[in-house]
Formats: sequence, structure tokens, C-alpha cells
Amino acid sequence: MKLSDVVSHAGLAFYAEVALVIFAAVFLSVVAYLFIRGSDLQTLAALPLADDVAAKVEVKQS
Amino acid sequence: MESRLDRFTYDDAIVRKFVTATIVWGVVAMLAGLLLATQLAVPQMNLGLPFTSFGRLRPLHTNAAIFAFAGNAIFSAVYYSSQRLLKARMFSDRLSAFHFWGWQAIIVAAAVTLPLGFTQAKEYAELEWPIDIAIAVVWIAFAVNFFGTIAKRRERHLYVALWFYIASIVTVAVLHVFNSMALPAGWLKSYSVYAGVQDAFMQWWYGHNAVAFFLTTPFLGLMYYFLPKAAERPVYSYKLSILHFWSLVFIYIWAGPHHLHYTALPEWASTLGMIFSVMLWMPSWGGMINGLLTLRGAWGKVATDPVLKFFVVGITFYGMSTFEGPLLSIKSVNALAHYTDWIIAHVHSGALGWNGFMTFGMLYWLTPRLFQTSKLWSQRLAAAHFWVGTVGMLLYIVAMYTSGVTQGLMWLAFDKTGRLSYPDFVETVVRIIPMYWVRAVGGALYLTGVLMGSFNIFMTWRSRPKTYEEIIVEAAPLGPDNLPKRAEPTALEKAGVHVFGRKIDYFTEANWHRLWERKPFKFTVWVTIAVLVASGFEVLPTFLIRSNVPSIASVKPYTPLELMGRDIYIAEGCYNCHSQMVRPLRAETERYGEYSKAGEFVYDHPFQWGSRRIGPDLARLGGKYPHLWHVRHMENPRDINPQSIMPTYAWLLSDDIDFSVVQQRVDAMAMLGVPYGDAVLTAEKTAREQASLIAREIEEQRGPAGLGGKQIVALIAYMQRLGVDIRTPVAEPSSPTANANKQGASK
Ligand code: HEC
Repeated sequence: MKLSDVVSHAGLAFYAEVALVIFAAVFLSVVAYLFIRGSDLQTLAALPLADDVAAKVEVKQS
Repeated sequence: MESRLDRFTYDDAIVRKFVTATIVWGVVAMLAGLLLATQLAVPQMNLGLPFTSFGRLRPLHTNAAIFAFAGNAIFSAVYYSSQRLLKARMFSDRLSAFHFWGWQAIIVAAAVTLPLGFTQAKEYAELEWPIDIAIAVVWIAFAVNFFGTIAKRRERHLYVALWFYIASIVTVAVLHVFNSMALPAGWLKSYSVYAGVQDAFMQWWYGHNAVAFFLTTPFLGLMYYFLPKAAERPVYSYKLSILHFWSLVFIYIWAGPHHLHYTALPEWASTLGMIFSVMLWMPSWGGMINGLLTLRGAWGKVATDPVLKFFVVGITFYGMSTFEGPLLSIKSVNALAHYTDWIIAHVHSGALGWNGFMTFGMLYWLTPRLFQTSKLWSQRLAAAHFWVGTVGMLLYIVAMYTSGVTQGLMWLAFDKTGRLSYPDFVETVVRIIPMYWVRAVGGALYLTGVLMGSFNIFMTWRSRPKTYEEIIVEAAPLGPDNLPKRAEPTALEKAGVHVFGRKIDYFTEANWHRLWERKPFKFTVWVTIAVLVASGFEVLPTFLIRSNVPSIASVKPYTPLELMGRDIYIAEGCYNCHSQMVRPLRAETERYGEYSKAGEFVYDHPFQWGSRRIGPDLARLGGKYPHLWHVRHMENPRDINPQSIMPTYAWLLSDDIDFSVVQQRVDAMAMLGVPYGDAVLTAEKTAREQASLIAREIEEQRGPAGLGGKQIVALIAYMQRLGVDIRTPVAEPSSPTANANKQGASK
């Protein structure tokens, strides 16, 4: 008895569809959360602009 | 306070290295592409040499474009932006160096082995097993270096670009490991552990997700970092970028089967792939719009700044390809487009438009900074590159659309009497040759642009200072994590109600997500789980549920000689031009014969379904022509078919079969579960016998004598076997391994 014998008889063929629904649901909840509640994210959006300008302090010749 | 600041430098030397490699390999990849393009217009451009023939060079082109050009571009972006976003030097300079040199060594190994015909024959995963192992090792070094940098970061929040990098690093590792599983049968030879439908499924799960997690997510990371930098304003909507990220992780991973519509893949898998692909359209466009709107109010800059020009067109092409992809994954559209140049148009709008232009936008922004020259050598040359590149790309893509739709329609066309309008395949080839010329011109223009860019960057490099300044940066180390505080107890809670209500509130306040963003480990684990779960649900049923691959009793293993012939077919890369998969469409069964069944491929390690029909399908080739026809056709296809664009394979008539490896190969197949029975003991002898039999038959057909030990005979043995089993009544001995076959069948 191989694993595939067991699985073949377990009637699992529809599982892929179940997973599809789960993934779609999780994804849609991310969408919903973002649009209902996306809290203040502007500081995060500014991260790439903040990096070198403010941080640079001195220059070393190497 | 001051004393608590850390002082450190960024490692830009490593970025300079990756930038140089990007440019060098970009030119190599595109030169190879241009040679291939001309080969399809003028077959003599194959030069009559094994190493320069189309089937061997095409994998070199694709691998160089993806892993060498785009790969080094990704690493440039990751090494430059991660250090700055994390406010930390890379974790280990040694690992950075190991990553860089290791990756270049892998590319060189690819450039040597592929033209020599060492290949696993799975598209974009052709490299043989020792190189595969090297890839895994280098990738792990990269991952350790990257996650190590995250661990010692000085900025708690992970900017969205970093999420894209994380997802890419993790997923590419998973894809590479699972798809490359192979059993070695020599130092540079191996057989995929999967066969037929399962191998195809694995391959396109890999192939598609390589597009997603090698050519899309890292470039989105690049976009979300370098576009705001160049535009000097934050991304239009951070919200949208989060959405963009999760949609790719949750949806993209499912879309692979759209590469296998109407094949012997189970119907459910194909439908699933289609649905998820269509779902991808919206989030992808969300990403495109997000990118373009970041430039709101900065359009004036676009007119003058070549960096932004490249980004705008790059992002627009991202939008085009991500609209076209879902369109192509709709089955009825796919029936027309699959196997044609439409797909080539699609991938090049992605590769040249999105990957290429984003890369050059980034390079033009980076070089003055990396080489500390304050500006690019010539803005005008960069603008010229932009225009030449854009025109070249448009020519390329329009030519391939035209060619693809034309050939697709010709394949499907019936005349009034119900017969195929173009029964002779070569007619459909001749019709598109003019388009191949236009494509070659377009490609040459694009390459010209790239050469202009390389020159510009080279000149910028020449005016670098004698020694690079090292900029010392200061930032505070991460203190104890100040988690976003749970809301002050509300009135309700004060009244003693609702612990549960508070939890819901916590959830909807989205604090959990912000927490995640601060906890890279958790974040990585969840991304990995999402990827693994989706892949498992999609891929495993084809392995574990029998009804997905119904077996066919008359299908037998290849004889040892046929196996050797199949290995030649693989080494020459015939699959780059020929499919072995008749789809259940009337136009195809009329042209090629009975449609292909999943059970026919159970001994095909690896599968050879192909993805583009530059030549006709070969699934039902066995018995169609006498041996001698094949000898003459392989020696020079134009002797038989003056308009053919197939390369000549004259060396197959003079090169010897290496009988000493036959046993080893059959043993490897047997280990993979192919039922060879007793034949496994006498593989070499059986192979020699069958070879002399075929050689004698060729002589009897008044062909050349003395081919008995030559490669052509093995190849012919294989070609004459294709599609034969399904016509054979069960248990009728038809080949030297008949005994073994009987045993196999009785199992
Ligand atoms: C550049 C693409 C290309 C490559 C690579 C290529 N072929 Fe072909 N092949 C064609 C074209 C185009 C035709 C149709 C014209 C002709 O018959 O020559 C063709 C026709 C054939 C046919 C005749 C099929 C029929 O049903 O009439 C066979 C057999 C064949 N090829 C075998 C091979 C083998 C084996 C290899 C690898 C060693 C190979 N081809 C590599 C393009 C290619």
C-alpha cells in the first residue's frame, strides 16, 4: 500500500478548490482591512527618502 | 544622547561590482538573443557548429537574460537599498564577496556547459546538478547575509521594498530546490525525479513563479525604493503597495498551470491556474497605478530626467504585461496563442520593457552616486538610449504579435471542404520570416541602446575620484521594542465589559500588521507558509491522486538505445523548437494525430512537451517517415524541405554514441522506478544490437553505410518510437526490450 493508494481513495480531489477559497478569502480580508482601516502609513512611505540625507555626518577619505 | 549613536559605513564597493556585472552580462545575453533572432531568419547563421546551434544557444540566452542580467541587477538593488533602508552595513563583507564571485562563477559555468549540450532540459532550470547545488549554496549565503543585515538593523520598520526582497529570497529557494530534484547519471548528466505530467507541473510551477519571484517581486522592491528616490517624493499610496505585496504572495503562486492549458494536465489544475491568473490583473494594475501616480506633480521632471523616463516606460510595460498575462491565461485565447510568437512578444515586453528599463533607470540613478561623480557623463546620450531602446522594443513586440497571431490563425484554419488550409507546416513558417527580420532589427536597436548606456556609464566611471570617499553615517541602535500600545481602556471596558471586543478592536486597528512589519522573522515565516501551502495544494494532487494520471497498459519504457537518442534530443535542445503535446483541438488532431494523454508520459524523465512550435509537433512522429528520411533531414533539413529553418545536425552522422554510459543511464532510470526488468543487466548489448539493426535498415533503404555506432541512429530510434505505443495493441513485442516490457506490464 503506497501513500498514493491511500490518498487516492480518501476523496480529497476537491481540496484544491477549498484552498482556493481560503486563499481568496485571506486575500480579500487584507484588501478589506487596508481600505477600511489603513491607519497612518505616511511615515513608513517616507522611509526611503529619510535614509542618507539626514544620516550623513562626515566623510572619510579611504 | 550623542554617545548612543552608532557610526558606520555602507558597503558600496559590492554594489559597484554587481552593477558592472549587470552591464557585462546584459550585453552578452542580448548578443546571444540577436544571434538567435537571425538564426530563425537565416538558418545558415547556426554556423553548422554544435555549440552555436539554436537549440543549445537559446537556453544560454534565457539564462543569461534572467539570472545574469536581471539577477545582478536585483543584487545591485538589494545591496544598495537594503543597507540604507535598514541603516546598517551588510551583515558580512565576506559573504557579500562570496555571493558576488559565486554567482559570476555559476554564470560562467552555464555559459560553458549549455553550448556543450549539458542540460536538464527544463526551461530556465537547464543547468546540470553540480551547478544547481552551487546555486543553492550561493543563494543560502545571500540569504544569510540579507537576513543577518535585517537582524542588526537600526530602523525598526521594514519598508515595503524589503518585504518584496524577503518574499523573493525565500520563494526562489523553495522553487529551485523542488524543481531541480534529479538523479545524477554521471557528472554532468541527470534525470528529473519527476516524470511526464508531474514533471511538467513542477516545471511550470517553477517557471511561472520564477517570473513572479525573480522578475517581478524583486523589481517591485526596486521600484518602490528607487522610484521615490528619483522622484524625490514618497510612493503615492503605501496602502496600495501593501495590497500589491500580499496579492502577489497569495495569488501569483497559483497561476503556473496556465502554461499547460489543453495539455495532458488535469482539467481542474488548468482551470485553477486560469482563475488565479485573471485575479492577478487588478492588484498588478494597482501596483502600476501606484508607481505612475508617485510622479504626480513631478511630470515636468520626467521630461528632463532620463532616470524617470526609463521608470515610466518600465512601469507602463509592467502594466501591459500584467494585463496580457491574464488575457493569455484564458483558455480560449490560449488555444490560439500557445506555442506561437505571441508568447515571445509577451515575455519580451516584460523582459525588455519592465526588467530592462527598470534596470537602466536604476543604473543611471546609481552610477553618479556610486562612482561619486556628481552627474552622469551625458544626459543626452542617456535620453538617446531611452528613445532607441523604446523604438527597438516596440518593433520587436509588434513584429512578434503579428507573427504569433498570423501563425496561430494559420494553424487553426480550415477550408470550405473541412480540411486544414495550411497542412504543410513550413508554409506557416515562411509566412512569418519577414517578421523575424523586423524582430532582429528591433533587437539590434535595443542592444544599440544598451551599448550606448554601457559607454555612458563607462565614461562616468572614468571620471571617478582617485579614491572613493567613505561616508560615515550615524544612527541610533534599536532600543527595546516599543510596541504600539494597546488602546487605553475604553469606556465600555472600564465598565467591565468586553475583553473579546477589545481584541476585535485591536485587530481592526491593524496594529497586528504593523507589528508584523517590525518582526521580520514572523513575517518571513508567514510568507513561506503561504507559499508552501499554496504550492502543496496545487502540486501534490497530481502526485498523490491516481485519477489525475490514468495509466495506459501499452505504454512501455524506452529501449536503452532510444533512451540514448532521447538524451541526444535533450542535449541538442530540440525541445526549444518542437513540442511533443498534441492538444485536443480539431486543428491539431487533424494535423498531428491522436491527442496526447497523461498516461503516455509516465516514463518521460524529464518531460519534453516544449513551449514553442518553431517546428511541428513531434508527439506522433514514430513511423511517419523511413529512417533514411531522418538521416537526410538531420544532415541538412533544406535538402528535404528547401524552406526549412531547422539547423543542420551533420555532426550526428559522424559523432559516436558513447555506449559506455548506456548501462549507467538505464540504471538511473530503473532507480527512478522505470520498469526495465532484466534489460537493466544487458543495456549496452541491447543498445548495440538495436543500433546495428537500424543501421542495416538504413543501408537497405540505400542510405549511407556504417552508421551503426553513430549518434544519428540513436536519435532515429527515439524519433521512431514517439507516439507509437498508444497505437500498439497491448503485450505485442515490438522492440528489443520486449521481455522487459512484459515484465513491466505485468506489475
Ligand atoms: C530552430 C528550430 C528547430 C530546431 C532547434 C530543431 N528543429 Fe526540427 N524542425 C524545425 C522546422 C521549422 C521544421 C519544419 C521544416 C522541416 O521539416 O525541416 C522541423 C521539422 C522537423 C522534423 C520533421 C517533422 C515532420 O513531421 O515532418 C523532425 C523529425 C525534426 N524537425 C526533428 C528535430 C530534431 C530531432 C531536432 C534536434 C536535434 C530538431 N528538429 C531541432 C525547426 C527546428
